[in-house]
Formats: sequence, C-alpha cells, structure tokens
Amino acid sequence: MGIELDTRGGPTSGPYYEDFEGFNMPEPPGHGSRRIPRGEFPTGPEVGTRLPDIVATDHTGRQLDLHADRNGQPAVVVFYRSAVW
Amino acid sequence: MDAYREAGVRLYAVSYDEPDALADYAEAHSTTFTLLSDPDSEVIASFGILNTLIPPDDHPWYGLPFPGSYVIDADGIIVAKFFEHNFAIRPGPEQLLAAALGTEFDAPDIERPPDRVSVDVAIDGDRLPMGVTRQIVATFRVPEGQHLYSEPVPDGLVAAAIELDDNDGILSYEPVMPPTSPLTLSGSGDTLAVYDGDVVVRLPVAQNARNMQKDDDGRFVTISGQVRWQACDDVECFLPESMPFSFRVEAGFPALGDMGPGVGRVPAMNGAQHFQRLIDRRAGTDSGASE
Repeated sequence: MGIELDTRGGPTSGPYYEDFEGFNMPEPPGHGSRRIPRGEFPTGPEVGTRLPDIVATDHTGRQLDLHADRNGQPAVVVFYRSAVW
Repeated sequence: MDAYREAGVRLYAVSYDEPDALADYAEAHSTTFTLLSDPDSEVIASFGILNTLIPPDDHPWYGLPFPGSYVIDADGIIVAKFFEHNFAIRPGPEQLLAAALGTEFDAPDIERPPDRVSVDVAIDGDRLPMGVTRQIVATFRVPEGQHLYSEPVPDGLVAAAIELDDNDGILSYEPVMPPTSPLTLSGSGDTLAVYDGDVVVRLPVAQNARNMQKDDDGRFVTISGQVRWQACDDVECFLPESMPFSFRVEAGFPALGDMGPGVGRVPAMNGAQHFQRLIDRRAGTDSGASE
C-alpha cells in the first residue's frame, strides 16, 4: 500500500512551521520526525481480534509478557513516539 | 492513574526507547504505569504500524510507529483503537478509559418532562493541554418508545450529533458513537439503525496552541457548539432540537520529554544523553559502551 506523505502547511512566525492542523514545530511538515500520513495508513490489528502478544523489557528492566502481566484485567496499550524527545 | 486503578484497567506504553531511558523517565515523572521498551521496533513492526514514510537511514526517527492506542477487554480482545494522522494529537486518558469501560458511565441527573428527550453536555476534563484530546460528552436520555437517529439519516431527519462552532485553534476528531439498535418501521417495513435508552456521544477535541497567543494571555480556551437531535416514536417525529454549549477550560501543556542537561533539575531524566544514544545506536556509531 502506498502511503502518502502529508506536507501541507508552511512557515509561520519565527523559526516555526505550521502543519495542516495549525500545530507549530521547528521542522517543516514532511521532514524529520514530522513525516505523517495523509489519507489511508495502517493502524494494525482490527477491533474484535485479540491483541497480538507483546513481550518486551519494561522500565524496571524486567522482561514482561503483556497478556500475562495484566492478569485478566482490561488494558490500554499506547504506542507513542518517545519518552526521550 | 487513580481512575485507572479504581476501574481495574492496566495501562502500557510502548516506544522505541532504551529501557534505561524509560527508567529515567519513569523516575522523573513518578510514573505509575508500565513503560515498555521496543528499541529495535520489533513489536511495532509486528503490529504493522511502523512509520514507513521514514527511510531506514534517517536516524533517529526511523523505527517510530504511526502512534495510536488499543483498548482491550479482559480476554485481550481489541474493543477500540484510536489512531490520528497527526502525531501531535493523542487521545486523552479519559477517552481511553471510557472506551475500556464500554457503555458504563455515570449518567448525570437531568430534570426533564418524562415524554421528551433530555440532554446533558459536559467536557471530561478541566484542562485542555496542547495536542491531548478531551471529549465533549453529550448524554441523551431517550424516553421509552422513542429513538434518535444515527448517520446516515433518512431524508429530512436530523441525526444525533455534537457540532462545534468555528473555534479558533480547536480541532475535533471522529466522534465515538454508541451501538445502535435495529428498528423496523411498521409502515414500510424498512429497518433503520437507531439509538434508544441512554445514549452517550463523545466528540474528541484538542487545541493546537494557536489561540494561546491570542486571548486571556493564552491561559484559557473556549469550546462552543451545539448538540443536535431529533426524536421519533413509531408513528411520528418531533421537530429537530438543538442545545448550545460553551466550555471555558484551562489550556496547558502535556508532560514532555525533558531534554535539559539534568543539572539543577530534580529529578532529571537525562534527555539529551538518551537522545544522543538514540542517534548513535541507530546510526551504527555506538561504541558499544554502556554507562
């Protein structure tokens, strides 16, 4: 599937660039971390299916299996950019 | 987070950061949920949500996901997911928790004549940080024997909806609609999708900080609009109705990564150091030495 890069927006006051929703950032839309999709883009497993297994190291250094760790509780799983920047 | 604990809903956050960067973040922000490290973006890729608009040699951005959230039930089945085009937008915790709890909600007490639809409109947070959604929550109490319509509506009828005025700097997203019930009309035999009983419609809204340069020293934002609906029973429809709303809420900024040097900041998350390591490791210039 070809995903279209969203480059809408342009320079605004100061060293900033505004995107199509009016968010200001130092990078122009379509560059650096600011490469966002326009139109269709993949959003992973569908509603109604089981969340695929996630086994990863957590912030305490422990290897964690998400489905085992939640111990039968409902959960929210957030994929975000970074805790660093 | 207390609300999540009380509701028995776990929260996990997955990113391409190293575990020790997450440890510093968790300490700096007294995090009580679980941060998961996916430094090679294996989980991200296995979900099929790797941002392929970023070329593999573009460090340190390569490896980022198209950001989004999944809400799963006790059996691990995905009951809702939220993905926005713009990474500047993320769903607020209230929106995710509401999705996890399904149709359960505290219906506000509304004085009303028993034979007409009554409506309560609220916003599910007292602050609107830049880029984090809050929801306009419209609760319709539909009397027995009546119903509201969902989109798409038959000609000449008005669907239950929340509409925003043209508020400068306020963005709105795909509304979260409740499930419909099928209704078969006695006359034509046509089946329509309708809402009955207590109907909760949620409209995620966010602000892009434009208006923060303008009024009220940028400390407050105003969100106004109207709720529209039209009630019908099996025989006839009432006139379309609407109710205006306006909320003035504190603006604000989300907790962001702290890129500062750490000196004088207590506690520090050593953001700049971790950022350099992000670049080095992905560019292959990592000396291999770990601190």
